[in-house]
Amino acid sequence: MSGAGDREPVFPTRQSLGAMKSKLKGAQTGHDLLKRKSEALTKRFREITRRIDEAKRKMGRVMQIAAFSLAEVTYAVGNSQIGYQITESVRQAKFRVRTRQENVSGVFLPQFESFQQEGVDSGFGMTGLGKGGQQVQKCRDTYTRAVETLVELASLQTAFVILDEVIKVVNRRVNAIEHVIIPRTENTIKYINSELDELDREEFFRLKKVKGVKERAAATEEEARKKQARRESDKENQQANGEDGETKNVLGDEGDEDVIF
Amino acid sequence: MALPQSAYKDREFLAVIGDEDSVTGILLAGVGHVTDPPDSQRNYLVVDQKTETSTIEGAFDSFTKQRKDIAIVLINQHIADKIRGRVDGYSEAFPSILEIPSKDHPYDPEKDSVMKRVRKLFGE
Amino acid sequence: MAEGLFYNVSGGYVEGIVRGYRNQLLTSTSYNNLIQCESIDDVKLQLGPSYGDFLSTLPPNPSTSSLADKTLDKLVAEFRYVQANSTGSLAKFMDYLTYAYMIDNVALLITGTLHERDTRELLERCHPLGWFETMPVLCVATNVEELYNSVLIETPLAPYFKGSLSHQDLDELNIEIVRNTLYKNYLEDFYRFVNEEPGLKGTPTQEVMSEALMFEADRRSINITLNSFGTELSKQDRKKLYPNFGRLHPEGTLMLSRAEDVEGVRIAVDGVYDYKTMMDQTGMGGGSGGGGGGLGNQSGGIGAGDEGKSLEDLFYEREMEIAKLAFTYQFTHAIVYAWVKLREQEIRNITWIAECIAQNQKDRINNYISVF
Repeated sequence: MSGAGDREPVFPTRQSLGAMKSKLKGAQTGHDLLKRKSEALTKRFREITRRIDEAKRKMGRVMQIAAFSLAEVTYAVGNSQIGYQITESVRQAKFRVRTRQENVSGVFLPQFESFQQEGVDSGFGMTGLGKGGQQVQKCRDTYTRAVETLVELASLQTAFVILDEVIKVVNRRVNAIEHVIIPRTENTIKYINSELDELDREEFFRLKKVKGVKERAAATEEEARKKQARRESDKENQQANGEDGETKNVLGDEGDEDVIF
Repeated sequence: MALPQSAYKDREFLAVIGDEDSVTGILLAGVGHVTDPPDSQRNYLVVDQKTETSTIEGAFDSFTKQRKDIAIVLINQHIADKIRGRVDGYSEAFPSILEIPSKDHPYDPEKDSVMKRVRKLFGE
Repeated sequence: MAEGLFYNVSGGYVEGIVRGYRNQLLTSTSYNNLIQCESIDDVKLQLGPSYGDFLSTLPPNPSTSSLADKTLDKLVAEFRYVQANSTGSLAKFMDYLTYAYMIDNVALLITGTLHERDTRELLERCHPLGWFETMPVLCVATNVEELYNSVLIETPLAPYFKGSLSHQDLDELNIEIVRNTLYKNYLEDFYRFVNEEPGLKGTPTQEVMSEALMFEADRRSINITLNSFGTELSKQDRKKLYPNFGRLHPEGTLMLSRAEDVEGVRIAVDGVYDYKTMMDQTGMGGGSGGGGGGLGNQSGGIGAGDEGKSLEDLFYEREMEIAKLAFTYQFTHAIVYAWVKLREQEIRNITWIAECIAQNQKDRINNYISVF
């Protein structure tokens, strides 16, 4: 019966029963805590997801505006070579990101932060010098803002990916505790209990048996002693009465049967 | 669950894969970076009709796997569509992949890998 | 007025053709129709009468850039036709027109060579008007020195390089400085040409073209000054980029070279009424405006509607005015120049309108410049 469920390989002793009981208690506390953590994370997660949804839509608009400002540049410069000029004159990144971490219910979520690297010439300072420079400048500003929005979105998205992962892990743990560890521990406790009961019963029966054997032995001894005593008194009677032959049982209980306990 | 600091500490650049206009614009913001010679790696790829899918994949892999200094990869959605399998299969936190719209292809949340996961999670 | 007697002998046909081309330019009615369009296909349809042949190969709903390319193709085809029919000083005049585009092309090739790109790819990016027969030769060059030598030997631009740029300069100077140095030399040469060429001296061409080129020179000087703020371009280097003629020359350019901010530019151009008005219109005037002025104002930005045009817009408008007026003269090469400028503006307008439609930014669609 107790072997039917999954249980831990322990000897059914009182000591391991105690260990199992405290383990069960720990598992239940852990389960509650993790469940709460998972709920907190999920709440945060849903919030992030909603913000991603919004931010992605916002990004559509921002990028459209930015693309439009590039169209203005093309209009002002009057030729399409500017794209090549820019892609080729890249040297060092001025626009960079740094990452810091934010702690949400014990989970570290990275947060990208954009910053302008000082002392770096991006290489387009003079693009459109003779023509269209103002538009280029404007376009740069627009795109810088657009990319900042993208960086924010990237933070959200990374948080999303990490949280997704963490929540999965936490939920796996919650489920593992709920569906495996707790039933298993309970099973083990049940098993230990039943084994211990079994042992108790065996012990009792054994004791009783021992007691019965002892009593029987005592009764036989008694009987033997009685017989001995009778035989000795008979001898004395014969000697005392002479011809009397047979004497009456002094106890007068010949007809009684032996009482068996 | 804190990630090891090495996973993101050195990541300070953005990478771009996109059509000429998108790349130009984003580079104008000052994102572009060419590493020191001799290998002179760029952090952007201009894709036009002639660009092979394998080139895009190569750039994507290099930005996401080989290079350890890239924090965010920006990719035009219509280009991501060309290598959708890779983009969907990518699940790392660093670098973060962001699908952006391009001038001629407005943003479609239906196709976005992350948005797909969002929708899946909410069972829609 | 003796030129009137003989101009038609050599230039009459071309002049007639160009005037015909001018009449094909889109009018404000056509623009009004264009801005009503809902899609690029509609735009294509509206452009049918004037661009039909060139647009017919476009796929449905083409991208704005391919649309622009096709409209440019038409300009190029017509330009080539006119060029083929031109003789004498007109032929030379038209060569001068192409030099401006060549400068851009050469600058592009230099950029490519500097970054060790495959320059052959670049050929298709070059502006077709700036195409010259020996251009592919430049692609053979693998380093800047070779390129410099081929440019000197193979291109008509050699005189613009000679004396002001060495091959080390190509390597070390910002490509924009190279480009603007060339452009300055080119403008000066062109100016000298229209004023000194025997066939042009004393003709309306000299008169009209001088005005146009002076405007161009001033525009560049002002733009360079404004755009150099906040860059590493030193005042001395900046001064070298100003063409040595124009209405601002010499006092205005001298003041420009000393200008430190927008206010300095305004003071520098104060002497020329036209530019002063432009500066005032853009809100960069400072004096009468709200004081704050500055660059912030002119970047009215997206969504700000048509409030405040940028200085560049005003320059374009002025350019168009000059071009339009050129057609009131007769017996002059200047109409070719004017026609090219008008057509370029038209292409920009079309691209702009198409862009606005494609990107759904209709509130800014009226920013085009309609001339007729």
